[in-house]
Amino acid sequence: MSAPTSSPLPITLRQRTEAEVAARVKALESIMIEKGIMTTEAIDRLAEIYENEVGPQLGASVVAKAWTDPEFRTRLLANATEACAEVGIGGLQGEDMVVVENTDTVHNVIACTLCSCYPWPVLGLPPNWYKYPAYRSSIVRAPRRVLRDDFGFDIPESVEIRVWDSSSEMRYWVLPQRPAGTDSLGEAELAELVTRDAMIGTGPVATP
Amino acid sequence: MTELGDARRRVEQLLTELPGESDQLSFDHPWELRAFALAVAAYHAGQYDWSEFQLALIGSIGSWETADATGEHEPWRYYEHWLGALETTLSGSGALAGDELDERTRTVIATPRDAGHHDAHREPIAVDPAR
Repeated sequence: MSAPTSSPLPITLRQRTEAEVAARVKALESIMIEKGIMTTEAIDRLAEIYENEVGPQLGASVVAKAWTDPEFRTRLLANATEACAEVGIGGLQGEDMVVVENTDTVHNVIACTLCSCYPWPVLGLPPNWYKYPAYRSSIVRAPRRVLRDDFGFDIPESVEIRVWDSSSEMRYWVLPQRPAGTDSLGEAELAELVTRDAMIGTGPVATP
Repeated sequence: MTELGDARRRVEQLLTELPGESDQLSFDHPWELRAFALAVAAYHAGQYDWSEFQLALIGSIGSWETADATGEHEPWRYYEHWLGALETTLSGSGALAGDELDERTRTVIATPRDAGHHDAHREPIAVDPAR
């Protein structure tokens, strides 16, 4: 964090310091509360939910269910929003979710080229790199190289890579392949193997 | 919620308390989470359609990318765009008027973080005695 500097320009006309941005957020919050538009409790609750409660473990449970229940898998691929609603998962930015399935011949990766559209209800908040311009542009230009060099995730040349651009209308996420040697595992154990990156398409499922 | 979900959440909670940056953390600074929650709260309060906020965010990031391409390198701060989009939509809904945010920001900056908290408090401020 940089220290506030004295500048002749008003704070709106030059790059703000970290401290100034933080002050601005605080100011905005106090104005909204004063005007009765929202309450501190509501803001606290939301911050808490998104920081701690909604997260990739919800998506992982859906993946594990799809691995063990072929009919659910079919419904998930047909309409992810409805299938997730069946298990009580849904909410803001989850209205139009589409699940893309990895196979022996196709690997899927998600991005948002315009901003940071992301299926919050199943994956939580996006990691910072998902929001960086570098990822947003390079994953489109050279997905195989980016996955290998930036994520250490080597996709065999024989496998096609598809990059999906999420928008506010349609948010993608990835149904990874169930790893070999997991026939004896139950749904809860399988869910433990599913990482956030596996559902973004930038990392593998853990091995048991 | 499964027991596993609970366990994972507890671990994630610990992760979020680690200092510094990690690609596991969604927020680098507390104000980012606050700005995030403010936008969602304003949406829930019916201040705007989420798509309006979305468009404002796309616009803010787009301007940054244009400026970046012309060599005016401002550091990339995602949540600053988020905040800009929130200001735009709240001004649009009438929740934010004129320069009241600038004024309030100056007040916040001028007020020391620990205003009124300069004295050493050497005793416990509450005690629940042993029984």
